[in-house]
This record gives sequence, C-alpha cells and structure tokens, in this order.
Amino acid sequence: MMKRTLDWVDERVDLSGLREFIAHKRVPIHTQEIWYYLGGMTLFLFGVQVVTGILLLLYYRPSATEAYESVQFIVSQVEFGWLIRNMHSWSANLLVGLAFAHFISVFLLKSYRKPRELTWLSGILLLFLMLGFGFSGYLLPWNELSFFATKVGTGIAGSVPLIGKFLLRLLRGGDDVTGATLSRFYAVHVAMLPALATVLVVVHLLLVQRQGMSVPLKLERRVKEGQPLKEMKFFPNYVLRDVLAWYVVLAVLAALAAFYPWELGHKADPFAPVPAGIRPEWYFLAMFHTLKLLPSHILGIEGEHVGVIAFGLLGAFLVMVPFLDRRASRGERSPIFTAIAILGLAYLIVFTIIGRYAN
Amino acid sequence: MRIRKRPGVGVRMVRLLLMAAAVIGGAAATARAQAQPRANACLTCHGGLAEARLSAPATLFSGEDIHRNSGFACADCHGGNPETRDAAMAHDRGRGFRGAPRASEQIAVCARCHSDPDLMRRYAPRQRVDQAAEYATSVHGKQLASGDSRVATCASCHGAHGIRVVRDAKSPVFPTNVAATCASCHANAAHMTGYKLPDGKPLPTQQLADYQKSVHYAALTTGGDLSAPTCNDCHGNHGAVPPGVGSVANVCGTCHAVFAQKFATSVHAEIFDKGCVECHSNHAVLKPSDKMLGAGEGTVCATCHSGADDKGAIAATAMRSGLDRLTDALKKSTDVIDRVGNAGIEVSAEELKLADARNHLTLARTEMHAFNPAVVEPVIQSGLTIIGDVDNAGQRAGNELSFRRRGLALSLAAILFFVAALWLKIRQIEKTER
Amino acid sequence: MSNAMIGRRNSGDDSGRYPDPAGSSSAFDRRLFLDSILSIGFVSTAAAIAYPISRYLVPPATGEPATASAVAGAASALKPNSGVLFKFGSRPAIVVKTIDGEIRAFSAVCTHLDCTVQFKTDTSQLWCACHNGTYDLGGNVVSGPPPRSLERFVVNLRGEPGQEEIVVSRG
Repeated sequence: MMKRTLDWVDERVDLSGLREFIAHKRVPIHTQEIWYYLGGMTLFLFGVQVVTGILLLLYYRPSATEAYESVQFIVSQVEFGWLIRNMHSWSANLLVGLAFAHFISVFLLKSYRKPRELTWLSGILLLFLMLGFGFSGYLLPWNELSFFATKVGTGIAGSVPLIGKFLLRLLRGGDDVTGATLSRFYAVHVAMLPALATVLVVVHLLLVQRQGMSVPLKLERRVKEGQPLKEMKFFPNYVLRDVLAWYVVLAVLAALAAFYPWELGHKADPFAPVPAGIRPEWYFLAMFHTLKLLPSHILGIEGEHVGVIAFGLLGAFLVMVPFLDRRASRGERSPIFTAIAILGLAYLIVFTIIGRYAN
Repeated sequence: MRIRKRPGVGVRMVRLLLMAAAVIGGAAATARAQAQPRANACLTCHGGLAEARLSAPATLFSGEDIHRNSGFACADCHGGNPETRDAAMAHDRGRGFRGAPRASEQIAVCARCHSDPDLMRRYAPRQRVDQAAEYATSVHGKQLASGDSRVATCASCHGAHGIRVVRDAKSPVFPTNVAATCASCHANAAHMTGYKLPDGKPLPTQQLADYQKSVHYAALTTGGDLSAPTCNDCHGNHGAVPPGVGSVANVCGTCHAVFAQKFATSVHAEIFDKGCVECHSNHAVLKPSDKMLGAGEGTVCATCHSGADDKGAIAATAMRSGLDRLTDALKKSTDVIDRVGNAGIEVSAEELKLADARNHLTLARTEMHAFNPAVVEPVIQSGLTIIGDVDNAGQRAGNELSFRRRGLALSLAAILFFVAALWLKIRQIEKTER
Repeated sequence: MSNAMIGRRNSGDDSGRYPDPAGSSSAFDRRLFLDSILSIGFVSTAAAIAYPISRYLVPPATGEPATASAVAGAASALKPNSGVLFKFGSRPAIVVKTIDGEIRAFSAVCTHLDCTVQFKTDTSQLWCACHNGTYDLGGNVVSGPPPRSLERFVVNLRGEPGQEEIVVSRG
C-alpha cells in the first residue's frame, strides 16, 4: 500500500531521483558504526519533545499566577497529562545527554574533518540550542526549584564583562526574575528556539544525507590504499536498525516515567530566601561548579568574569575545531585533538559528579 | 572745651536705619504676639532660660501638644499673669500662680478641666470625665492619698508639657508604648524599694521583662495588632489594680471568651485562686503547646496532679493522648496527601478536609479548658473520622499511582516485544541477503 | 577520494526489494510469521502511543484550573440573610446573601488560627467557633482575636436570568 501511495505521488511529483538515491544509499560497516545511531536517536527525542511540547501547550498558561496551577492541572486533571508531562521532562534530559554523546563521538572520531565542517557547525549550534531549550523550559513550571535555578543562572549571565548587565536584563525581562521572565522564556522556548532548531536540523540532515556517513580515519586510509569497504543498504537495513534504536530509547523513556515520575514541587515564592544547596540541572553542573570554585580574583580580574570569558572562549573553540584541526582535514592522525576531547570529557564527568555531591 | 561736631551724613543715615529697624521689629513682635489667641509671655521668658529644668517645659509646650493645639496656654494650668514679661508680676500668687504643682496637687490641677463634663464636651465630647474618680480607687491613688509622692500621677504617664493624644504613636500611652511607660517605675528596683505585696514579699520588678517574652507583646509589636493587651488592658487604665482573686478569669475572658466560658464550668474554677494565671502565667504568657497537658514530667498538670489514682492525672493523660492521636493522624495524613499531590493526583478536596480536621484539633484544645475528657473526646473522634476519609482517598490515590506504573510497565513490555521482533526481522533480512 | 563518494562505489543491487526466498516454504512461513508479529508489535506500540494522546486531547470535566475561580452554586438557592460554605481550590470559602439581596463572597479561613468561619443569622455576621472571632459583612474584624479582615472575593453571576450560577474569583 505504501508503494501504491508512493507511485501515485511519483506520477505527479517526480520522485525518481529521491527513490534512486535512497535505493543506492549505503552505510559503512566497521567497529565504530554503533556511534552512527546516536544522531538519529537525538533526532527522535527532539521529535518526542516537539509532540509532547505541543500537547502541553494545549493546557499550559505562561503567567506567574497561573503557570504552576496549569501544570498541576495537566498532571492531575487532564487524562494522561502526567504521562505527557513526564515524557517531556525525561525526554529533555535524555535529549541533552544523547546530544552530548553524539557530539563527543563525532569529536573523537574526527568526523568534523573536511568535507563535513558545515555539518559540525550546524551540530554545535544545535547543541547550544538544546542547552537553551533546557534552560528556558526549566523555568516554565514556575516551581521553587526552577525559579531559583533561573535566578542563579541568569545571575551568572550578568557576570559577562561589559555587556553583563544588559544581558541579564535582556534574559530576565527586567532586573529580577518575574512574570516578565516567564513570558520571555516561554517565547524563546516555544517559538524562537524551535524555529532556529528546525532550520539547523534540516541543514544538518541534508548535509548528512548528501555526504553520507564519515568513517574513522584509520579505515579511510586503508580504503584509500585499496581495502574494500564493507557496507549495508541504507533502506531497509540501516533504517530498521535506526528505528530499533528509537524504540529502545522509547522503552528507556517509558521506564523512567514509570519508576521515577517527575515531581510537581511547590509554587515559586519570589520573596522566599534561596533554598540552601540550589543547583541547576545536571547538564549545567560542571560549568556551575567550576564557576563556584574559581577564586574571587584572578590576576586582578573578578573570578566570575574570568570563568564566563573562559567558557565563551571554549564555545568559540568548539565551533572552530574543524578549521583548527589541520591534520585531520588532511586525513592524518590528530592525537592532540583526541587528547583535548578525552580531557574535556573527563573534566565534564568529574565536575558534574563533584557538583552533584558538593554540599 | 571740646567742640562737638555734628555727626556726618553717613552716621546719621545708619542711626536712622537702626531706629527704623527697631520700630519695625518691635511692631512686628507686637503683631506676632497679638496674632496668637492668648498672650503667652511665659514661653518667651522660659524659652530663653539657661537652666534646662525651667526651659524644657517651654520648648516641649511649643512643639506638639494637645492643650496648645486646643488653644490653652501655660496660665490655664499654672495660673499667673501671661501678659507680662516681668517675672514677679507674671508669677503673681494673686493671679493664681501656683508654680509646678506637687504630686498631691497634680490630680486636682488636671481634674479641674478633665472631670468637668460641660468643659470637656466643648473640646472632646467622646472623652471620659471620670479619670480622677477612677484614679482615687487605684493603688496609685490610695498611696498618693496616704502621702506617698513617689507613685504615678497624671503627668507621670501622660507627660505635662508636649502632651500627645493617646492615638498619637509617639504618646507614652499609645498601646505599644504603655509597657515601657509603666516600667519606667515598676522595673526600676531603686524606685520600687519599700513597696510590698499583700503577703509581705517585695513588689517584683521583672514584669516588663516577663511581658516582653509573651505572645501578647509579640502580637502588639511585631504583629502590629493594637488590640493585643498591654498593662492597662488587664490592670485598668486610671483605676489600676492587679486583678484580684476570682477576677483573673474574667479579665482574660474579655478577649478569650470561649476559654473563660469553658473554664467556668470546670472543677478548677473554684479551686484556682489565680484562674488562668495558674497555668499560663500573668505577664510571661507564652505560646501554649500540647506539652503543657498531661501527667508526665514537664507538664503543667503534674505540678498538682500525680499518681496513678489521681483523678486529675487520669483526666489529663486521657486528654493529652487524645490530642496526640489527632496530631499524629493529621501529620501522617498530610504527608501522604502532600506526596500524592506532588506526584500529580488532584487532592484539593482532601486538603480541604484536612483543614477541617485541623479545625477540630483547635476546637479540642479549646474544649480542654473544661478539664473534662468526656467533652474533648467527641471532638477528637470527629477529627479522626475526617482523617479516616482522607486516608481512604489517599489510599485510592496511591492505587491510582500504582495503576499508572503498571500501565507503563505494560507499554514497556509491548515496546520491548516490538524491539525484539524488529531485531529478528533485521537478522532475517540480512541472512537472506547473504 | 572523499567519504561522500564511497557510498556509491559498491552499489550492486537495484533496489531495496527483498531477494526472492530460497525456495523453502518453511523459510517463507517463518518470514510471514515474523512479519505478522512485527505488525502486531507495531500496532500495539502505536496504540500505546496514540491512545493516551487522544485521551489527553479531550478537555477534562473541570475545564480549567480551579484556583482562580469557582462556582458557588445557584443564585436562586441562596436565601437572603444566609451564608453557604463552598470549596475554592483547596480552601474553604463562604458566599453570603445580605438582607438586601446583595451577594458577597469571602475566604472562610479565619485569620486567627485558620478555623472555618460560619454565617450567624441572628447577628448577620461571620463567626468563628474556635475562639469567638466575629467579622462583619465587609469581612472586617468586629471582635475577638482575628488580627486581619477576611479576604474578599469578586462575585459574578453567569447564565440565563433566573438560573444564574454564582461565580467567585480572586480579585
């Protein structure tokens, strides 16, 4: 039946090029091919977020007086509202985790090398967008935890030198975290970021489809020397495997929603004191804890300013990696960047753990 | 012989100007004096005196003072001639001058107007005119009549110059200031030496310190509740006497009516000399807690009641156990409802019921003042019944949560089944390809 | 040679169609069986996804979050000089009709120690049984221990004339 539908469309819109392309597309097989699935899994979770997010939009109210009550309403009154909300919250965390895993695997495998610089660029921007989604979405239930996490997070934005104060006011919609902040974060979360993300995802996917999958450097060299490359058909072999991975992710999501349901918390009280030990979500912990540990002054500049500048430079570095790693672009081994990746990963893991357990 | 020269033009001009200034200044001063309704040369002289004792009254009276605002002047209380600046003529005994009245005379000075209904009606028709009569019945009044000039008189509390109305927050008799005003004598050990209680013990001086620990003080100062009692609310305003035997419960009962009613029906009403004060103290009235009730160590009841066959001890234990049962049940139920509500079940109806159960706890604590378990127990039971309903609802909510978890586990099974089928399919496809 | 070209090098097959079975009917049966359990699996998981979503889309009976407004009953059922308690969110509230027929609503939570107040018909006041606190029909404290007045709510009537219901909401 699928085939008949496709033929019907083909008669009207010439799909032959697309069908040929799909039919001939191949995916390499090698020891590192397992990492190929991470991108698709991330995409799947992004889709889950879009669907559950739109469903939540049906009942959510973005005002300081109604946001918490509307989430409470969704979770307690709307049939299966608890399920949709739980999925959205857990999927958000898994999405950031998988996006990071995808990023790390691409970094370690040097898939960013020529000709895939643009794919890397769009990917890095997408990673930043996902973090932005996480940060903006976290405030929307307007409970104690999210209110204070936002207060602390936007406060750090105020530490950016020169434009810090302006940036803080821009983020908060004022000097403090108020209903204005909620409105702003809502607009960012449901309109601005989705629009940007959609464009970048389309670009990213188109590039991946056009250019095919990258293979590890060693394998690439061997293939150049004449070794045949083992491959599988994209359709149906790789696609079925991808779908399998998606369903595994779905199973993990369902298990998490069942056994670790997301709590409602207490409604935010702007006049209450900051609870002791307030922390951002786990994906910001490493950065947060690093900033906490910095001394108050480094070489005469305020510690927090140095930290923020350093992270800004790190972001810029990450964007520029394909252009900085000359050796990988030439197809040579690039141990320096491997080392950077491993050290970066170690730093993230260690500091996330410390940040989680520091009192 | 010296030739007297005629002064030059410049000097003549200056003298002319000086004379003009003097004339104008004098006219202005006279005009100013005449703008006031009544002449008050007293202020002009006394205001310029170096001795503080003599100048302070003038300074104070020139500031915020209800008598001055109403058009009264120094001579209306002190007598004398207010129109002259000559000290002897101003202080003319023939014109009624009496100087600063002595303690024994002060009441009469104030009462001359304040006990005159016709006069007071012209200025403050709502104000009472029996303060002096009341004062005569007070401890202060009786002491004064017997020659003790160290006791409080009108000026001790209200001031003499710069008197503000009671409603004025800066008045020494504004509700939040009354305790400090009384304490200026009553907390001063040196001042209070020689005074004794009816039983011979010296008059205590820690009332203010005690009062500042009380809930009444907290309500008045931090709570901003001006209806909270301070010294005069229990002891009387001008007829200040500590409430005697048998009248304490009535005094507390003016606000705590329900408790006084219950107490009046109890066995303690006849037995307690000091009524409410026996358990709650007179000045250091602290926030009561359930821990005060019972026959165990640290309870108030144990002061008199002990032993297994003491009827009072048995009653106290019974009532305390009732309150504890209700408190525990309430806490457990609240925890369950909070947890379940947090997990996403609609619990507003249950929260409402729990609020009602909390009401019952409050009511039980009120009923307890009849010191009769038979009156307290029904309230406890009623509260426990409500909590029972809530617990049932909590149980149903817990079941709902388990149901959700089971449903998700089922979906999980379906997904894993599909994953397995997919895996087999992939293997099959690739086997046939090879 | 770039990676992008590698994908095309080994394309030998013509399409994604399955090769013919190797003649054995049991292999065909196995494939049919697998295909059918695959379909069952897919349909059941799809249903497990679609069912909750479709139920979610149906608006619940209560309409919208109840903490902002609540219905306090029919206007005609409330007699003059009477008051009726109702549930507002998770707190008790009281709607009263004065002797002149004006409808007012207040929070029924006494500001002293949170007991629930009631309407006293003989004095036309709101009274708290716990410690004898009394409020007038403006919510102001008349006597007793309550430190603050009762929170006053906004009252509106909604519906056909003669059958209106009282809608109470926060100011």
